[in-house]
Amino acid sequence: MAERTLPKTDIVIIGGGWTGLTVAYEMAHEGKKCVILERGEHRHDATSFGGPEEHDELKYALHYKHMVDVKKETLTFRNGRDQQALPMRRLGSFLPGTGLGGAGIHWNGQLWRPLPSDLNMRSHYEERYGKGIFSDDLTVQDWGVTYDELEPHFNFFERICGTAGASGNLNGEIVPGGNPFEGRRSADFPNPPMVQPVAPRLFAKSAENMGYSPFPFPSANVTKAYVNPYGAQLHPCTYCGFCERFGCGYFAKADPIICVYDRIKEHENFEIRFESQVLRVNKSADGKTATGVTYLDADGVEVFQPADIVCMNAFSLWNVHLMLVSELGTAYDPATRTGTVGRNYAYQTLAGVDVFFDDQVFTNPFMGAGALGMVIDDFNGDNFDHAGLGFVGGAYVACSQTNGRPISYQPTPEGTPAWGADWKRAVRENYLHHAGLTVHGSSMSTHENYLDLDPTWRDAFGRPLLRMTFNFPENDRRMADYVMNKTAEIARNMDHVTSTRASSLAAQDYSIVPYQTTHNVGGAVMGTDPKTSVVNRFGQMWDHHNVFVFGACLFPQNVGYNPTGPLMGLAYWTIAHMKSDYIPNPRPLMDA
Amino acid sequence: MTHFIPKLAVVGLVASASFVLAQDYNAAPPMGQLNAALSDDRTLFNVTIDSRPDDDLLELGRLVAMGGAQKGGSGMACIACHGANGQGDGSGAFPRLAGQAGWYSYKQLMDYASGARPNPIMSGIAQRLTEREMEAVAAYYAAMDSPYLPVLGDVPASLLQWGGQLGAVGSAERGIPACVNCHGAAGSGLPPSVPYLAGQYATYSAYQLKLWRDGVRNNDAMNVMSSIASKMTDEDMKAVAEYYARVRPMLPVAGE
Repeated sequence: MAERTLPKTDIVIIGGGWTGLTVAYEMAHEGKKCVILERGEHRHDATSFGGPEEHDELKYALHYKHMVDVKKETLTFRNGRDQQALPMRRLGSFLPGTGLGGAGIHWNGQLWRPLPSDLNMRSHYEERYGKGIFSDDLTVQDWGVTYDELEPHFNFFERICGTAGASGNLNGEIVPGGNPFEGRRSADFPNPPMVQPVAPRLFAKSAENMGYSPFPFPSANVTKAYVNPYGAQLHPCTYCGFCERFGCGYFAKADPIICVYDRIKEHENFEIRFESQVLRVNKSADGKTATGVTYLDADGVEVFQPADIVCMNAFSLWNVHLMLVSELGTAYDPATRTGTVGRNYAYQTLAGVDVFFDDQVFTNPFMGAGALGMVIDDFNGDNFDHAGLGFVGGAYVACSQTNGRPISYQPTPEGTPAWGADWKRAVRENYLHHAGLTVHGSSMSTHENYLDLDPTWRDAFGRPLLRMTFNFPENDRRMADYVMNKTAEIARNMDHVTSTRASSLAAQDYSIVPYQTTHNVGGAVMGTDPKTSVVNRFGQMWDHHNVFVFGACLFPQNVGYNPTGPLMGLAYWTIAHMKSDYIPNPRPLMDA
Repeated sequence: MTHFIPKLAVVGLVASASFVLAQDYNAAPPMGQLNAALSDDRTLFNVTIDSRPDDDLLELGRLVAMGGAQKGGSGMACIACHGANGQGDGSGAFPRLAGQAGWYSYKQLMDYASGARPNPIMSGIAQRLTEREMEAVAAYYAAMDSPYLPVLGDVPASLLQWGGQLGAVGSAERGIPACVNCHGAAGSGLPPSVPYLAGQYATYSAYQLKLWRDGVRNNDAMNVMSSIASKMTDEDMKAVAEYYARVRPMLPVAGE
């Protein structure tokens, strides 16, 4: 029982990141009183992320000062059901954030849309290749929403971020210089692409010579002075090389604080409470609706905040955790393959090729930005023929230049010892003559990759920890190998190359130790069938119609792109239906 | 390990003296002293694109500074206004050049010549220099470590405080990023491309901010300064300029 009960609000929002602040912005303007509960602290780009203090690689990139405190909340991990899961006591493979803006503060700004065929993945592939294309272990399913339905929302979010890029498909017309495989854009990017450094240009040249279609990375690192639709003013990027794992003090990387929070914080319908750790969502006696949420306030007092609508806007893993500890929906059981909460957890499949140049090419890696680079999409999604390949899905291949920071950026060619004088010499000789090609691949969901509650371990608040059971499916290992080999061909075809070095993180069993990506998806997936989805196609929980769910936990499997663009498209889609359909007449928006 | 500690961050909060020093042409630092600074970051770090600065370059730079050069010289000696020791002029009409990042000064000369940074005096001078001479004179002034002239003018402490705040943390309310983001801790600059602010004359700095705001000066790579200046009031500009005029750059000292 909570120690205090507060007056009821219209909407309580769990989490003050991209999706939570956006829900609050839109709903406050709709006349709804919104309360955001953010477990972390207030912070601001101007006062919290300014250089030179912010450009402390050790503090932020290695000691994770912007990330979740695993001493309070973490998860346990195992590769398979036959193993004992153990708590993750240090961050590694992925880096959820905390505090105002959430992980939207330390993202890179790589802002994509999914392919139209990504969103109806199962039916698309089965139509093109026959039902046998999916191996039995895969639980790939359609999203229940189409590209055309989401397009206006992708478009709007790109404007919120002042996204820089080159269109490849403008109103159905293929535009040279952009991504010819992308879905139709109803409007061009609001800002021109970033200026490309040497290595991405060499990559693009090689890819083009081989018949592929290189284009600039779609980037929320803004290229011109820009005012977004909410009135936020963004500044041009200085290519400082401190995006990922850092906040941006230049107002140049679009983030939830400058793009949304600053524009809503004074609104009479808006309130945010910091250091407010939500412990559970409370349900009504009949279990059909939520009545509000219980949280620990900054003084450690347990408080009940009643609300008409509960919006779950925590990081994807914590949304699922909160559902499980609150007994929202039905937990997934892999033994019987029933239940939905925790089902279809998926990740991202990464491989890469290091490229080393002779001393004619100076790559100047310190001149970087989170979404600076050139990409090809020829091997992503179903942009290439999968017949006979033995896998579904794909990856984009990017030559990006995010940073040349001294502790972590020490590229050495194959055969270099891991330490000692020869290693030091190799770092010196190659620092200015190296490029990294990233293979950023999709991740298919399976019966055996899932999230549930750990039977043994508890968090600082006494709740069972989330337990992750995950390994790379055979399908994804094959995909990563295939695209990695294609990438190595492009690498070898680049001018002035002396050596290349390819590796796939999916070559071994998944490990949570080395950093891979913070693209954890699924676990509370959307769909049109309550047996295989937690929320309907509008992001509304099947079992509790006044609970709306946001974020990458909605993805039934992961696409070959970074998730922020897709998940923000979904957020605006959900918000639009809350406004037009739900709030005038609160009810389940789809029949179960 | 070398640590950077601020060396008496703000000097002469309220300076009462109001005099301008005449240029002393005998104040040019001896070449031996400048050669010693060749390995200094400000000089070494990308003053030139293809080669390291050497004493020949410094000799040429000295020649240009004194008003001589290949094509008959710039027509005006740098030292006439900026001083033989690069102190500029206490009036603030002519900026301090001593110790300024070499590549930055070189790029300014290029931009004066091309018109990207229009200036009735400097454009004509720069157009009469070869690119090599621009590099040389930039390296020459970069290698200098000259004393600072007394800060002039009475400025209210509240204005300096506001300037310091804008410099250190900007304004979250108005969306102004802090100066230290790019210009380094205590305004010491980030060679090769970002100039120091510490010790620069306030009237000069404030005037540059106005030129950026008005779109007259438009020569930084990503047009960052225009975006920032467009959010600043005249008062803000005066505040940061007066503040940094009183800050002295951090100097490397042997740490514990």
